Amino acid sequence: MKVVAVTACPTGIAHTYMAAARLEKVGKTLGFEIKVETQGAMGIENKLTEHDISQAEFAIFAVDIAVEERERFNGVKVIQVPLQEALKDPHSIFAKIQR
Amino acid sequence: MNQRSSSTSQEFAFVCSLSDGLHARPASQLAEVAIEFASDCLLTNLRTGSVASLKSVLAILALDIRQGDHCVVQVRGTDELAAHAALLRFVEQVLPTCDVPLASLHTTTASSKLPRTLQMAGVKGWFGSAVSPGIGQGKVIPVSGMALPRELKTPTATDPLAELAQIKRAIAAVRGRIQEKLTHPQSPTESAVLQADLAIASDVSLAQKLAEHVSQGKSAGQAVMEAGEFFINLLRHSESEYIRERALDIEEICLHLLQEIYGVDLQTAAIDLREPSVVVAETLAPQQLLGLERQWLKALVLEHSGATSHVVILARSLGIPTLAGVKNARGLLLAGQEVVVDALRGFVVAHSSPAVRNFYQRELKTLELRQKLLPVQTTGPAITIDGNPLEVAANASSYEEISLAFEKGADGIGLFRTEMAYLQRQRPPSEEEQFAIYAEAARAAAGRPVIIRTFDLGGDKAAPYLNLPPEDNPFLGYRGVRIYAEHRELLQAQLRAILRASAFGQVQVMAPMISSLEEVLQFKAAISEAKQELSRKGISFQADIRIGVMIEVPSAAFILDELCSEVDFFSLGTNDLNQYFLAADRDNPKTAELSDGLHPGFLRFLRRIVEEIHGAGKWVGMCGEMASEIRHLPLLIGLGLDEISLPAAGIPAVKRAISQLSAAECERSLTRLVACREKTQVEEQLERAQPPRSAQPLLSKELVLLGSESRNKEEAMQEIVDAFYIAGRTEDRQRLEEALWSREAVYATGLGYGFAAPHCKSDAVLADSIGVLRLNQAIDWGSVDTKPVNMIILIAMRESQNSRHMKVFSKLARKLMNDDFRGHLLAVENAHDMAAYLAQQLEISLH
Repeated sequence: MKVVAVTACPTGIAHTYMAAARLEKVGKTLGFEIKVETQGAMGIENKLTEHDISQAEFAIFAVDIAVEERERFNGVKVIQVPLQEALKDPHSIFAKIQR
Repeated sequence: MNQRSSSTSQEFAFVCSLSDGLHARPASQLAEVAIEFASDCLLTNLRTGSVASLKSVLAILALDIRQGDHCVVQVRGTDELAAHAALLRFVEQVLPTCDVPLASLHTTTASSKLPRTLQMAGVKGWFGSAVSPGIGQGKVIPVSGMALPRELKTPTATDPLAELAQIKRAIAAVRGRIQEKLTHPQSPTESAVLQADLAIASDVSLAQKLAEHVSQGKSAGQAVMEAGEFFINLLRHSESEYIRERALDIEEICLHLLQEIYGVDLQTAAIDLREPSVVVAETLAPQQLLGLERQWLKALVLEHSGATSHVVILARSLGIPTLAGVKNARGLLLAGQEVVVDALRGFVVAHSSPAVRNFYQRELKTLELRQKLLPVQTTGPAITIDGNPLEVAANASSYEEISLAFEKGADGIGLFRTEMAYLQRQRPPSEEEQFAIYAEAARAAAGRPVIIRTFDLGGDKAAPYLNLPPEDNPFLGYRGVRIYAEHRELLQAQLRAILRASAFGQVQVMAPMISSLEEVLQFKAAISEAKQELSRKGISFQADIRIGVMIEVPSAAFILDELCSEVDFFSLGTNDLNQYFLAADRDNPKTAELSDGLHPGFLRFLRRIVEEIHGAGKWVGMCGEMASEIRHLPLLIGLGLDEISLPAAGIPAVKRAISQLSAAECERSLTRLVACREKTQVEEQLERAQPPRSAQPLLSKELVLLGSESRNKEEAMQEIVDAFYIAGRTEDRQRLEEALWSREAVYATGLGYGFAAPHCKSDAVLADSIGVLRLNQAIDWGSVDTKPVNMIILIAMRESQNSRHMKVFSKLARKLMNDDFRGHLLAVENAHDMAAYLAQQLEISLH
């Protein structure tokens, strides 16, 4: 299953990237094909293209602030969680998708 | 027991309602009432069970009656009914009105401006302004200018009657002088103080004690000293500040008595320090400060406010931690009490707990390490990263300071204030005496410039032999160069001394308080005259000695074209220049906001002055307080000053900070600074203008702390921030700590697996940095997995520049999610290997 994700935290120095790394790793372990966009101090990186989003069945927003360019995700099923969830219990986020 | 009266018995009870307890003024009034009657009048403090005669102020004070204490008055004797009635009336009607409002005492339990660990420790102390930074710890030595001389040679006692007669004469004389003063007091306050003094001089307990000592075979002098110490000790241990303050009054009265008995002036008794000491005084004469044993003088606490008074300037250049403006400090701090003077944060810790002591132990170690790691650049001026040199010279007031300055890497003496040698003495210093000092300074400078400013007397610096009349507004008065015409010989003697010293090094001469061209011409004429005199005598000097003037009166700044054609150099005396420019007294705490030189108008003024002087090809330095602050450096470099001159202790840090700044960037900052509309904007801009690119690597061994003993999150955070401070990566620990804590407030940065990654974006950090702290014992960090942490990776990033290091930080953040990476960080054996491993993993350089 293809999944896209966005991570963003208030300072954009550390947690954005930690969460991204965590989601990528756990997602792959669980057999997902996952691409994670970071919205941190360096701006948007590993940007999700229109194609990426249209192919995805779900979008995960692990964010503490508003997602930039939110309109890209119109029409996609979005699971939004506080960023800390991605560090604390990433499996449960993917469990929600599988349900 | 409530306040009640009894008409059937010659005793009554009352509860003290005075917020400062039964202090000196009500006590002396109470004694005045009691003394009118023949009956014995006794007062009992039921809290302590102590009893005292109501006829003795000292005895009443010694009862230590505080607000809420229950007391009993007992009267027995022939006129007991009348005495009872009078005392009762006083206690019921007059006593409650004796509480005049006190001078506001600034006390606090915790302030948001303190480090978390100190806040948690519940520190209690008295606030003042930190005028010379540092931390000092020691026993309180109160100096009233009247310390009782302990080793005064006392004549052996003759017969007790003669000694007693001598004491009575002395008491009568002292009382007479106080009464004389009371006939024309300057103010109601002075009148009340004199009344209290008179009560002590007339006190029956004191008289009794004196008689007692004499009857035991002591001399009059010994009796006064012992009785004085007896009462002083009694009162100094009181918990009431007011009563402790009275100890000073007794000391003063006893000193007057001793002066009467011995017929000598004891006021200048030297202060003898024998252990780590904190000297507490109203203020100190500069000579008094220089006379203190440096080894034991750990800090100064002054009641007088004023960041620019002479003693403060001297303390700063000697690096003695100093707090000023601590109101009533000698009353607040007990003699012999162990205190910590925190002249970084501006308070003196009076009651310390183990947690507070622990904090200051760590703090002292941090400061020591910082000092040790601070490179002292003794060769040549500091150079900005883009290659512009800036001379960093020292301000000095004595030869001692000059030698210290060169140890600290001064490029010269930018301001040698010579008036110190003129103060505190009956006759001016001779030419020879001055020549000896200046020549020694020139030799110590070994070719580096020494700018000697001719005496700046008058105003707040009076010398008795000058016969200067008192003035209503001394700062706008007869001072500096203005008194030179009247004191021609004094000036000639000094100029000859300076000229003669110029044969031994690069001595330059500078005039203070110049406001007109005429003054400059007269000053130059005086120099020519001194030169002719020396030539006539065949004494050598540097014929082309450089002549300069202070720019401290604004009018001088508007005739720079004229001045530039007459002198070789200028020095900006920003303390006075700002005070005159803004019409704001620099020693008035209410106008302090205006006094720091950051008014946009003042910045424009400075820029104009420097541009005009440089346009004429002349040299300009700055020797005011403004030049001593690291945060002002972008401004000072932007102005293009040729030199800055500051207290010696600050030189190494300033030189290092200069070498991290870009002159081109500072110039651009200055353009932004002078364009600011408000002072707050100036301050913001200054913060942003801190080193834009650091020569420092992201990570260094100094930022890796393994085996930490920190016991909680607060201590751990502080430990890393301190390491940043030691390594010179922050000059503002408080702000850096706050930035980290405000990030923690969003949610804790414990990421699980025993790791935490606190981080912040703040310009309080001078260079993007990574810090590492590995703890011996895991501590709670509020982690997502609720487990304690033992590994802390801290990321501090500057706010104003878009960091080129963000890629490294994001890589680090991602790696922290990697089991192998974390495992390695936990296993690495020493700081060196840790730094090397991180550098390799993050592909960064450690140099």
